[in-house]
Parts: sequence; C-alpha cells; structure tokens
Amino acid sequence: MYRYDEFDHKLVADRVDQFRGQVERRVSGALTEDQFKPLRLMNGVYLQLHAYMLRVAIPYGTLRSEQMRMLAHIARKYDRGYGHFTTRQNIQYNWPALDQIPDLLDELASVEMHAIQTSGNCIRNVTSDQYAGAINDEIEDPRIISEIIRQWSTFHPEFTYLPRKFKIAVTGHVNDRAAIKLHDIGIVVKQNDAGEVGYEVHVGGGQGRTPFVAKKMNAFVPKAKLLAYLEAVMRVYNMLGRRDNSYKARIKILVHETGEDEMRRLVEAEFAKIDASQMLTVPQEEIDRISAYFAPPAFETLPADSDGFTKAQTADADFARFVRANVVAHKQAGYAIVNISLKPIGGVPGDATDAQMDVIADLAEHYSLDEVRVTHEQNLVLPHVQLDDLKTVYDVLAANQLATANLGLISDQIACPGLDYCNLANARSIPLAQEISERFADLDRQYDIGELKIKISGCINACGHHHVGHIGILGVDKKGTEFYQISLGGAADENAAIGQITGRAFTEEDIVDAIETVVTTYTDLRTDGERFIDTYNRVGMEPFKERLYD
Amino acid sequence: MTDYHLVIDGATTPETWSYIDDDAPLNDAPIISLGRLKDQADALRARGGKLGVVLQADDPDKTRGKTSMGEDVHELAPYLDMLSLVSIAFPIYRNGRGYSAARVLRQELNFTGELRASGDVLYDQWAMMNRCGINAFELAGDVSLETFKTALGELSGAYQPAADQQRGALWARGK
Amino acid sequence: MAQHAAKGARFQAVTANRLSDGEVVYWAADNRWVEGFSEAEIADGADAAEALLARAMPADFEAYVLEPYLFEVLEDASFYKPASVRETIRAAGPTVRLDLGKQAGA
Repeated sequence: MYRYDEFDHKLVADRVDQFRGQVERRVSGALTEDQFKPLRLMNGVYLQLHAYMLRVAIPYGTLRSEQMRMLAHIARKYDRGYGHFTTRQNIQYNWPALDQIPDLLDELASVEMHAIQTSGNCIRNVTSDQYAGAINDEIEDPRIISEIIRQWSTFHPEFTYLPRKFKIAVTGHVNDRAAIKLHDIGIVVKQNDAGEVGYEVHVGGGQGRTPFVAKKMNAFVPKAKLLAYLEAVMRVYNMLGRRDNSYKARIKILVHETGEDEMRRLVEAEFAKIDASQMLTVPQEEIDRISAYFAPPAFETLPADSDGFTKAQTADADFARFVRANVVAHKQAGYAIVNISLKPIGGVPGDATDAQMDVIADLAEHYSLDEVRVTHEQNLVLPHVQLDDLKTVYDVLAANQLATANLGLISDQIACPGLDYCNLANARSIPLAQEISERFADLDRQYDIGELKIKISGCINACGHHHVGHIGILGVDKKGTEFYQISLGGAADENAAIGQITGRAFTEEDIVDAIETVVTTYTDLRTDGERFIDTYNRVGMEPFKERLYD
Repeated sequence: MTDYHLVIDGATTPETWSYIDDDAPLNDAPIISLGRLKDQADALRARGGKLGVVLQADDPDKTRGKTSMGEDVHELAPYLDMLSLVSIAFPIYRNGRGYSAARVLRQELNFTGELRASGDVLYDQWAMMNRCGINAFELAGDVSLETFKTALGELSGAYQPAADQQRGALWARGK
Repeated sequence: MAQHAAKGARFQAVTANRLSDGEVVYWAADNRWVEGFSEAEIADGADAAEALLARAMPADFEAYVLEPYLFEVLEDASFYKPASVRETIRAAGPTVRLDLGKQAGA
C-alpha cells in the first residue's frame, strides 16, 4: 500500500490548517455561506437534513487496519457510533459538528487520510477494483495508476472550479468491478502487442438525470503519457463544458452535444500540445517508486488446498454457504478473498458500527496482511486470507453480524441514504431496501434466484445507481408522497447498460410486491443457468410489463 | 480611481490601465473587449502603443451557441504581439473557465505580458490563479497585501506542474 | 434552495439548520431559533408567512443558521404537524434509526 512521504504529510496538514481557517472565517462572518459552501464541499462537508455530513476519502478503496481503526474511533468520538460506506468507496459520517471537523481532520491526517475533494466541482476520489492485487489475471495492479492520478488531481489549480463534479475509475481486470463505463473518465489497464502496459480511456459516462455509458476515446495511451491525456480531457471540458445549467454541466453532456468524433479531435489536439511539452510525462523513477508500494505482499508458500478448510465446510453448513457466496479465488495458492457483506437482512446497506469496524481492523491485521478494501457495492473485503484461517475469520464475522452470505444476491442491494438523511432526496431508499431484504430473507430462495442486483436511489441524482441495477428503483415525490419507479436491464460491469423504465410508479405499499412480481416472472421464464440479466436480455421488457400492470 | 487594490507580481501597484467601453474613445492604456479587438484589429495595429484586452468567461450574446461557453482564448492568438495585458474575467468565483484560459495563454500561446484576474476574485482562489500563470490581481479594496501573501502560502507545495515554477512532487521526488 | 411550501398552503413555519452543528431549528414566536417543532411559530396565510420569514432573516442571520425557508404545516385536531414526509423526518430524525435525532430524546 502507498505510504505518505514527508511531502504528502505536509500538504495534508497544510490543508487541515487551511480548512480550520476557513471555518473560523465562516463563523466570524468574514465568509458568507455562499462563499463558504464550495470550500466546505471541497473538504467533504455537506449539510444534510439533520446535521452536517462529512465524507472521508478512501483512495481506490484500500485501507490499512490502523486506518479502519481510526474510522471506528471517529465514529465513536465525533459521530453517533457508526459510519456509512458509499458507492464511491468512501465513508460518510452523518452527525459531525462543523466546529469539530478541523480536529477530526487532524486525527485522520495522523493515519494518512483526509476528506480532500470528496465533494465539490473538482476531481473526486479515484475509485478502483476492490480485488486489486488479489485476483488472478490482472494486467497490472490498478492502484498504481490510481495513486498517480490521485496525486496529480489533488489541489490541481486548473481543475478545482470545473463546471461540475468529475469522477475517475480504474480497472486492471477484464471483469469490471469498478463500473468504469459509468464515470466521467473510465480507465482500463491494457497491454499492447509489444507487451507494454498502457490505458484504454473511456470518457463521458455517468448516471444522474441523463445517464450515458462512456465512449471509448483512446484505445491505448502509453503509461507515462496518461496524465498528459487526462489533462487534455479536463482542459477541453473546463473550457467548453456548460455552466448555464447544472443538469447539463457534466462531461457526458459535452460529449453527447459535441459528438464523440469531434470530442476526440479536440482532446487529441490538446493532448498533442501537452505531450509535446513533455511537462506531464511522469518520470520512470517515480512510476517505479509508486509501483513498489503495490508490490505483492509477503505471501507464504502454501498448498492450494487445505484439509482443515474442507472439513470445516463439511461440519458447518452455514460456513459452507458463506464460502460459496462470499469467498472468491485468490491468485496466490492457499489464499482466498473474503467479502464482508454490509447488507444484513433488514439492515441499512453500507452501515457499520464503530465496534464492527474495530473487529474488521483486527481481522485485517491478523489474517489479511493488514489490508481491508471497500467496494462500490457498499461491502468490505479482506483481500488476503489464508484458507486455514477462513473458519476463524468467519466465526468472528458471524459473532459480529458481519457474515451474511448474500454477496451478489437479491438482498445485496445498493441504496443511497435517501430521504432519511439527504437534503436532495425525494423519497426514502433505506426502508425499501430493508423491506425487500426481509421479503427475500430466506437464503435458499436467494441462491435459487441467483445473481440479481437491485439498486435504489431516492432521487434522480442516482447516487444509488438505479440506472444500472438489474432491477433499478427510483424514488419520486408526488405532492409530498413517496412513489417508486422500476427499471430493468441495467448493468454496471464490462457490459454496462442503462435500464429501461417499466411504466408508471408504484406506491410505497405496492413496490415490494411489484419487485416480487418481477422476480417470479424471471424464475418462470428462465432457462437452465440463466441469470436474471440474461433472461431479461433474451425476453425483453414485455413479459415483465404484462405481469406488472395486468 | 479604481475601487480595487491592484497587486502585480506580489506588490501593490498603482493602476495605469482603464477598461474602455466599446463605443468610447481609447486612451493611452486601454483594456478593450475581444469583439472590439477583432473588429478594429488593423486600426489598432496601426495605432501602436499599449493595448490590453479583457476575456469574458460568460458570453451574454451567445455568439458561441446556446451553451454560453464564454470567449475562446485561442481567438487571441493572432493579436498577442499587440497585447501587453490580458484581463481574465471571473464573473463569479465558481466559474473556473479562466484557469484554463490562463494556462493556455502562458503555456501554449507563450504570452509573457501582464495576465490579470478581474471580477469575483476571492481569497481561496488566489493561489490557484497564481499557479495558472496569473500575475496580477484586482483585489477588493480592503484586502491587504499581507492577507494576499498569506493566501498564496497556505499550501506549501504542489503535486503537479502548472504555469508557475513548482515542478510538482510527482516530478520533483528523487531529483 | 428548494422551497418546500406547497402553493396555497394555509399554515407555514420557518426552519433552518444551525451553523455550528447543523441541528434542525425552527423560528419561535419570541424571535429566536429553537430545536423543537412544537415551539415553532405558525403563520396563518401567505402574508403572515412572508412576514415570519422576514423576521427570521435579519441582516446577520447567517451568523446563526443556514438557508431558512418556509414549509407547509397541517392542522391536526389540537396540534400542528409538518405536511411533507421530508419535514416530518427533519422534525423527528431518520425513520430507520429511531434512536437518533430529535425523536431519540422524546
């Protein structure tokens, strides 16, 4: 994992001091709220319904155990004993007081963490694959270029007052777990015929009011030139992006209105100028220095199988189910990737208590080479667990309500905070997720239904990714009452697609029945081995519509 | 008299320029609109003398279409030899188009004259403007030079190169 | 800032969030911000509502609160309650965490 050097430490400390000064100027009246708002947002401080909210960055979703422990400490000391892991691999605290946030940030900085650029019209926290460095067949650990992008984009003087927010995601694997095609810029690590590593760059994806899948802008940007290419994209966007209407200000709208080919021409022209200057060509020594931090950890040489592990599964059916649902093969023999579901039946998706965070930190320290990951589907991962330790890890998770064996299943839902917390929401999301998970609580039924991704947003901003849910649910407000619209066929992986709306919205009372109708329509129509999304792609919307609106 | 405090290259400096309306006669140090510069380019070139231009980030006449993209910095290219000052307007501090205009002027069009920020130019933006190559600031009248210098020094370093002297940590480490 | 008062609402009150900690507050009849909705001053009619909002926003209001606005209130038997789900949740706390927010102390 990347470790701060003196320069990184100093800059984060400077930023905390700067924010402390900004808070003081706001409280003293030297800054109006209008002037302060973008400054607090660029430090991750929002105002929600009940209180401020602080969003802390977890760059590319990677944490050391001491960092997870600090997140637990902050939940206890500055908040109400819990935190909420988000679709951008960050954590949000829902109750911090403004005047305590500078002290909170000081404590975060002591473990190399911050809230810089977690909001505002700037380049946000770079997200990536939660299995980076652990999964087989990765071309290169995507965190290397993610860290380089993190540094380049931090306090970028030209791109801090963009037309709108800007999100970058990176994957180093053909299976996209970072939803890169739904980002302003999505990057896929590639190898060319000469064996060199470079990047395929997709531009103009996004959700919100007008969802788009990103367009492939460049099939192969050489490694040392990626920042020059990104700077070119950003400059074109900053100069030409719309500022007259915030709903049309994202780069997806610029790409759409300008046209893919013209956008490519503009970017290439700017790229040629920046590249010629050589000023953004990253030195090989610095690439090597950062790469070294992401070298494989000290794996032990182990047999590929473990008798103890096999026996434990035979002896404990719940453990066997957990292994089947939540454990993924590791690239290193004798190791496994363990997913920790933050979606207990009836729970709040993505929430973890301070005690749970401490438990996970301890498990990471003792059994996962000190690492934890956060996923964009609001779960956590212990990336490097020995097969021999799996049962021990499972038992600790189970004792702390962290062993729900539902990864990728119908109860493993993404949900935004919705109207229970959020200032922008039109409807609640969490209670709906809870009702759905309770309706489908029976795990055997969930396994029978198979992979099915439900994603719920409480407003059109789509923080709950409803556009790309196999089943998407959007909360809408009709004269102060909550209604829910269903969409089908979305996908956030390498086959990214925007879902189609089924028809009129359902009331709060009817929506869970409607979801069940969609699910039974699928189980009635599926052929052997067909997942929900496969069946939908084969039969289309009509059969679902007929059953929903008869 | 101006109602702003002009700081150039880190020093309080008396204003010697004035913004001139499109239909008003020129004085000996006028800052004119891009439209007037383009319309009267030949006459202005023949006139010689000091000339400045202001680049608008909003485009009230929507000459570049309904999307109000602001004036295009590249349009200054043919006239840069006549210009000793470009004033980049920030109509509201949230409109950051001018940061890119400044870098293009400095680093692609190699403009070496005075590059100033005018309009809604606030404390928390000065350092970034400075890094993008802006060397002159029209500050609110009550802002002291000391405050200005404090703002510029709040962050002790930079990760990335821009239009100032800093190399950026990604380039400077190990050097 | 969205306005949450329905057009033609008869009863309205003024709410905001406190600057120091973001707490939901209401403008009370004795010209101060209070934490409980039950103490909020209720304006009857559009003119009274505008006057109420004006009183809640003196020149220095930003030193105390963020973004005051009017919202609709319904008369229910002998007491008042917020009309929208949103304002009901603001007045009480998250519906998924009954141990948090104003409802926790009730």
